[in-house]
Amino acid sequence: MSVEVLRTATVLYAASAVSYIFFFVRPHRVRAVRMGFALVAGAFLVHAVAISLACRESGGTQFFALRGGLGMLAFVGAGLFLVLEWLYPLPAVGAFVLPLVVIAALPGLFGLGSSQTGVLPSVVRLPALKVHVSTAIGGVALFAIAFGVAAMYLLQEREVKGKHFGVLFSRLPSLESLDRLNQSLVRTGFAVWSVALVTGAMVAKNAWGSFWMWDPQQVTALLVWLLYGAMVELCHMGMHGRRYALLTLAGFALLMTSMIALGTVPNVTRHGGNFQ
Amino acid sequence: MSDVFLVGLSHRTAPIAVRERVAFSGETLAEGLADLRARPGVEESLVLSTCNRVEVLILATSAEPARRFLLSRSADAAGYLYERAGREAARHFFRVAASLDSMLVGEQQIAGQVKEAYRLAAAAATAGPHLSRLCARAFVAAKRVRTETEIGRGTTSVSQVAVELVAKIFGNLSGRSVLLVGAGKMGASSAKALASLGADHVLVANRSRDRAKWVARRARGHVRDFSELPQLLTEADVIIVATSAPHFVVTAEMVEATLKPRRYRSMCLIDLSVPRNVDPRCAQFENVFAYDMDDLQRVVRATWHARAEEATRAEAIVEAEVMAFLAERNERAALPVLSALRQRAEAIARLEAQKTLSLMGEHIDEKGRMSVEAMARAIVNKLLHAPTARLKAAAASGDTALPGAAAVLFGIDEAEPARASEPEDASAPKVAMPEQR
Repeated sequence: MSVEVLRTATVLYAASAVSYIFFFVRPHRVRAVRMGFALVAGAFLVHAVAISLACRESGGTQFFALRGGLGMLAFVGAGLFLVLEWLYPLPAVGAFVLPLVVIAALPGLFGLGSSQTGVLPSVVRLPALKVHVSTAIGGVALFAIAFGVAAMYLLQEREVKGKHFGVLFSRLPSLESLDRLNQSLVRTGFAVWSVALVTGAMVAKNAWGSFWMWDPQQVTALLVWLLYGAMVELCHMGMHGRRYALLTLAGFALLMTSMIALGTVPNVTRHGGNFQ
Repeated sequence: MSDVFLVGLSHRTAPIAVRERVAFSGETLAEGLADLRARPGVEESLVLSTCNRVEVLILATSAEPARRFLLSRSADAAGYLYERAGREAARHFFRVAASLDSMLVGEQQIAGQVKEAYRLAAAAATAGPHLSRLCARAFVAAKRVRTETEIGRGTTSVSQVAVELVAKIFGNLSGRSVLLVGAGKMGASSAKALASLGADHVLVANRSRDRAKWVARRARGHVRDFSELPQLLTEADVIIVATSAPHFVVTAEMVEATLKPRRYRSMCLIDLSVPRNVDPRCAQFENVFAYDMDDLQRVVRATWHARAEEATRAEAIVEAEVMAFLAERNERAALPVLSALRQRAEAIARLEAQKTLSLMGEHIDEKGRMSVEAMARAIVNKLLHAPTARLKAAAASGDTALPGAAAVLFGIDEAEPARASEPEDASAPKVAMPEQR
C-alpha cells in the first residue's frame, strides 16, 4: 500500500522537476514555477502519507536501511526545497534540486539497494536515535541542495567569466546569490550534522557502551563534519566563489560515497551496514 | 568621375585589438583629416571614429586613398576593412547614423557622434557640398527612425548592458561601491545606472578634478584623487574605466596587488574605452571579472530579444531616405544641362527682343518695350516648360540618357553648364549618374 502512495509521490516529484526544467528553458513561462511549486508541495504531502503508512505497516524500520533512508532523504530534501523557495525565491534552483529528489526517491520504488532490516535492539530505542536519524537525513538533504546550488554556481561562473553569455547566462541566477545560498546551506547543514554526530555518539554509548569506537560509520561522519566545518571556517576567512563551490561538490561526493559504501558493503560497520 | 566611397572597420568586422590601433582621438582626428585631404584624388572627406567603428567617407574617383589612409594607421587593419561605393556607401552611412549598425541597435549616442564627425570635417573644410548634403540627409533619416519607430525605446545603452552584466555577478549592489575612472559621458551614465542597482558609494577618479566633480554630481558620487587609484581598486567592487588614455590605466599587476587586501572579494572591471584601458590579463585572476566593449557586444547578442519588426520599419525608412537622397542628387546633376539650356534660350530671347526694339526705335514707348521683353520671356518659359519637367523627372529616376540627349540636341558644351550654374558642383557628374557605375 505504502509503495503505491510512494509511487504517486515520485510521479508528482518528477512532474514538478519537469515543470521547473521547463521554466529553466523558457524563463518567461512564470506559470511553470507556480505549477512546479504546487506539485512539490503536493508530492511532499503524499510522501508524508506514504511514510506514515509505512510506519504503520512495518514500524518504520525500513527507513534505517539505505533504500528507505534515501526515500526519507528525498522527503526531507523536498521539504527543505519548499522552505528555501519560500525564503529565497530562486526558481532556477528547482531545475537542479528536484531531479536529485526524484533520484533519491527511485530506489524505494524499484527495490534498489539493501532493504533488509532487523528488529532494532531495544537498547537504542531512545529519543536520541530519532533526533540522530532525522538530523542526519536533514544534514544530507541540506548538503545535497548545496551540491545542486554549487553546480549552478560553477556553470554560471563559467558563462560569466568565460564570456559565453549563452542560454545558461540568462537563465541562471546571479553568482552572488548562488554563492550566498551555498554558504548558508553549508552553514546550516554543518550545524544540523553536528547535532547528528553528537546524538550518534549518544546512541553508540547506549548500543556499544562507548561514545567513540572508531567505527567506519563514525569515522566517515566525522570526516564529513570536519570538511564542512573547515568550509564554514574558510567562509569566515573570506573564501567564496569558485573554490567554495568546488569544495561543496567534493564534500557531497565524499558524503555520498561513504553513505553508499557503508550502506551496501555488508558488515563494514559495527551496526551491520544497515544503519541499524 | 567622382563618387562617394566609404571604407572602414567596425565591431562587426574587427576585434577591439585592431579597432583601438586605427581609432582617432580628438586631436589626432584633425591631423587625420588634413592628411586625407592632401592625398591625391580626394575632393571631400569625413572621418567617423567611435569605440565601435572607424569609417572614412570620401568623394573621390576610387576608394583607394581612404583604404591607404586607414592602413597607414595600422597595417593589421587590412583583413578587416569593408568598402562601399555610391548608393551602398550612402545606405551604410545612413544606417550607421540611424543606429541600425550599432553594437546596441537603437542607442542614441551614435547620431551625436556622426554630427560631431561632420562638424569636425566642416571645420577642417574637408566636407564640401556633396558630403554636407549626404550628412544632412543622414540626420533626417536618423531623426525619422528615432521618432517614427520604437527601435530605441526601452533599450540598450552601454550602461544598461553593463548593469545587466553586473547584475549577473552581484545580484544587487547594496553595500557595494562603484568606481568610475575617467569622466566621459558614457562612463558617467553607466555609473549612474549602476547607482540605481543600489550601490552604496559611487567614487569618481579623473585626472581633471573639475570634470570629476561634474560627473560625481550627476551620479551622486564622491570625487577621489586619481593618484589613489591602487587604493580605490581595493575598495570598489565594480570598476568602470572610460578614459581616452592610449594605454592601460588598470594593469594586471595593479589588480593582483589588490586581491589579498580585498580578501578575494569579487571584482568586476568594465572597460568602455577604445583603445582599451584595462589589461585583458586582469580576467585571469579568480573572482575578477573583466569585460571590454567586445564582451558587452556579446551580452547584447545573447539578450537581444528580437525587435525585428521595428528594425524592418527602420530599414524601410533608411531605404526611403537613401532613395530620396539619390533622386535629389540626380536632379541636381541634371540641373547644369537645364540651366545652360535656359540661359542660352534667355540670352537668345533678350538678343532678339533688343534687335526688334532697336528696329522700332522711337515708335515704341516704355510700356510697349516692356511688353516685347515679357513676350520674349514668355515664349522661352512656355517652350522650356515641358523639357524642364521631363528632364527633372528623368534625372530623378536615374535616367542618364535624356539629359545627355538634351545636351547633344541643344549643342550645350559640357564645360559650359558647370561654369554657369553651381560652381561647387563642378565635381558632380554632368550627365552620367555615378551610382550606375
